[in-house]
Amino acid sequence: MKIIVCVKQVPASTQVRLNRETGTIIREGVASMLNPYDSYALEEALRLKETLGGEVTTISMGIPSVADLLKATLALGADRAILLTDRKFAGADTLATAYALAKGINRLGTFDLIICGKQAIDGDTAQVGPSLAEKLGVPHLTNVQQIKEIDGQRIQCLRLTDAGYETVELQLPALITVVKDINLPRLPSIAGLRRALSQPVTLWTAADVDADPNHIGLQGSPTQVTSTFVPEHQRQSERFEGDASQQASQLVERLSSLGLLGPREGGLSNDQH
Amino acid sequence: MNELILNIKNNEFQEYLRDESRSVGQAESISFPRTIGEVKEIVAHINQQQIPLTIQGARTGLAGGAVPRRGHIMNLSRLNNIKGLRYDAASNTFFLTVEPGVLLTHLRQALQELSFPTATWTPESLAALNQLQQQGPHFFPPDPTETSASIGGMIACNASGALTFFYGPTRNYVEAMRVVLMNGHTLTLRRGQQLVQKGRFTVQTEEGYTITGQIPELSMPAVKNASGYYLKQDMDLIDLFIGSEGTLGIVVEAELRLLPTPRAIWGVTAFLPSEAAALQLVRVARGELIPDLQVPHLPRPVAIEYFNCKALDLLRKQREHNPAFKQLQELRPQYHTAIYLEWHGASDAELSQVALQLGEVIRACGGDEQDTWVATTPYDLEQLKFFRHATPESVNMLIDQRRQTEPRITKLGTDMAVPDRELTQVVELYNGDIAASGLEAVMFGHIGNNHIHVNILPRSLDEYQMGRELYLKWARAIVAMGGTVSAEHGIGKLKTAFLQEMYGQEGIEKFRAIKKLFDPQNRLNPGNVFPAGGGE
Repeated sequence: MKIIVCVKQVPASTQVRLNRETGTIIREGVASMLNPYDSYALEEALRLKETLGGEVTTISMGIPSVADLLKATLALGADRAILLTDRKFAGADTLATAYALAKGINRLGTFDLIICGKQAIDGDTAQVGPSLAEKLGVPHLTNVQQIKEIDGQRIQCLRLTDAGYETVELQLPALITVVKDINLPRLPSIAGLRRALSQPVTLWTAADVDADPNHIGLQGSPTQVTSTFVPEHQRQSERFEGDASQQASQLVERLSSLGLLGPREGGLSNDQH
Repeated sequence: MNELILNIKNNEFQEYLRDESRSVGQAESISFPRTIGEVKEIVAHINQQQIPLTIQGARTGLAGGAVPRRGHIMNLSRLNNIKGLRYDAASNTFFLTVEPGVLLTHLRQALQELSFPTATWTPESLAALNQLQQQGPHFFPPDPTETSASIGGMIACNASGALTFFYGPTRNYVEAMRVVLMNGHTLTLRRGQQLVQKGRFTVQTEEGYTITGQIPELSMPAVKNASGYYLKQDMDLIDLFIGSEGTLGIVVEAELRLLPTPRAIWGVTAFLPSEAAALQLVRVARGELIPDLQVPHLPRPVAIEYFNCKALDLLRKQREHNPAFKQLQELRPQYHTAIYLEWHGASDAELSQVALQLGEVIRACGGDEQDTWVATTPYDLEQLKFFRHATPESVNMLIDQRRQTEPRITKLGTDMAVPDRELTQVVELYNGDIAASGLEAVMFGHIGNNHIHVNILPRSLDEYQMGRELYLKWARAIVAMGGTVSAEHGIGKLKTAFLQEMYGQEGIEKFRAIKKLFDPQNRLNPGNVFPAGGGE
């Protein structure tokens, strides 16, 4: 079985800091890592390979340093890694990204299954997987929590929906996006690191994949970001000090002053304590 | 009654009668001072009432140090400001001034985000902050497993953690302290300024009171140690107060030394096919030369941790039955003993080379490079940390379960360390005694420092008693090996008998002489360090 896994590099921090003046993510000093949802996709691909045989190829679009990230996918057990890297790809939105990935995958030849994470944790759009399937003309299924059955012809998946679950069967080749409950991704071993040392990451430019300059990078991106902002917290908290009865009195007073307790003579009052 | 002094009978204060050791004490009143002035006011009240005073931080200690005997509890959790930052250009070092109630987790967060409550900071502190922002992230190396520990508590027991193997204990990062003594005076101690010379010292409080004393001669074990006072003939007096478990004075402010955060951090958990192979890996990793073993030289790891086969079995069970541990990686059947190693370096490329060298060492020790987990991102390191914490967590859960049928049993956790040369012998001692007794026990911990936590898991009161006897037997054996009865948790109230084993009555009397100098009425934290009843 030929499986392709799409991966993205994201900031390796659970606490993203924003520059309040410009509204952009502060990336200085923040290391990068594999998008966590993509690690579930890769793990699922590796498990399928272990049971069904075949090969796993990882693919990403990004700056040259993303090759390190792809090296890490080789250390985890991927057989081949492709990086689409070219200045012409820069500034791509989800549509242009899906187009570029589709061109790369076309160059790879035939495949049985593409697995993506359900979304990237930095952009959170969840658009690239489905867009890519449309570009490639294959069926797709999002939010897959379990692959129930798979053979050379079809795949049956349990899919998470707003209301619960549904089981869906697709004809292969197909694309699925996976949620985190699908598995627990492995960590690389030293043996994996050593193996990855001798496996190069293949670099392809826009020309290498025969990409139309009008459909890639900023030029191929209809999405316009007009402004970004840091959401303000609406909730405010206030802390009452003292022992329990002092705190209770202060709370009653505060709620009364906000008009939330009704008229004082009818409700709680200090002399009724 | 002074308005700072609250009656403990109030139900909401009952939790302050206990700490993480799960022992429960008694007290009549409690206070939560917010300023040094309030601390002094409360001390004056204590002296007037002539009652014992127990100092509390975050109550995360495992030796009962914060559990009151009786009298008053002064809880320092609200004395918790980060007061300022100092930059010393000569040594290119930053020092952060904090109050004792600051929690380690909050300190780490502030350092990570470079976000401090600067409203009351001096212009010098703000300039130092500006400098820090330019230089990049810094960290405070002491890393006890329990990150909700308070800085005051960490200083009181000279806390350690996995990284102590490379960075040393809390002591190494305390540059200065302000201490309120039981006479109500404030003593400022700054490293390098109050030196003990040939055993003699003289210090003056801010109020002008002079204390002159003699440090008794005492032979401290040459191992990681948190048992009794730090006493040397030529020492810095600040070191006497660090690790004194609150028995000499109340730490109200501390200046902490920071280090630049390493650019790259890699952690590797290696699973070895036998305990012997794992011990060999430990010895190679810490730089010992082993005859007939051809291995590459590894740079010194920052941490070397250990999990024995019983600990791994316990985790296997938890992973299977307890949803809280579902996120643990699979522990394959061939994984017998685990060793966790961590390196800090300048780049991923550098540490990647170290990992490959480690692979060679693992093979030479009889292991397989395949049986390793390598973490190179904060996300993956968090997973390995979760694995490390899962062992003590599982033990606590199991004991809580067993206490439902036999409430008198508790976990019996050892905290002893021996010199490097005794590592194999001490592991043999533990294994032999556990097997012979039929007790259930797991072993894990800071094996780089020969500091293994043996956790005995009694199933009955009989087993609990057997475990206690074993514990005492081990304490004696470890003292004979030149080790310590507590390497990081401190003596508190639960291990005073072991301290006696270690230093004898004569040694305890030496400690008591020091105690008398600073707290002649023995009002401060009675029951800590010194055996119950003695001197009270």
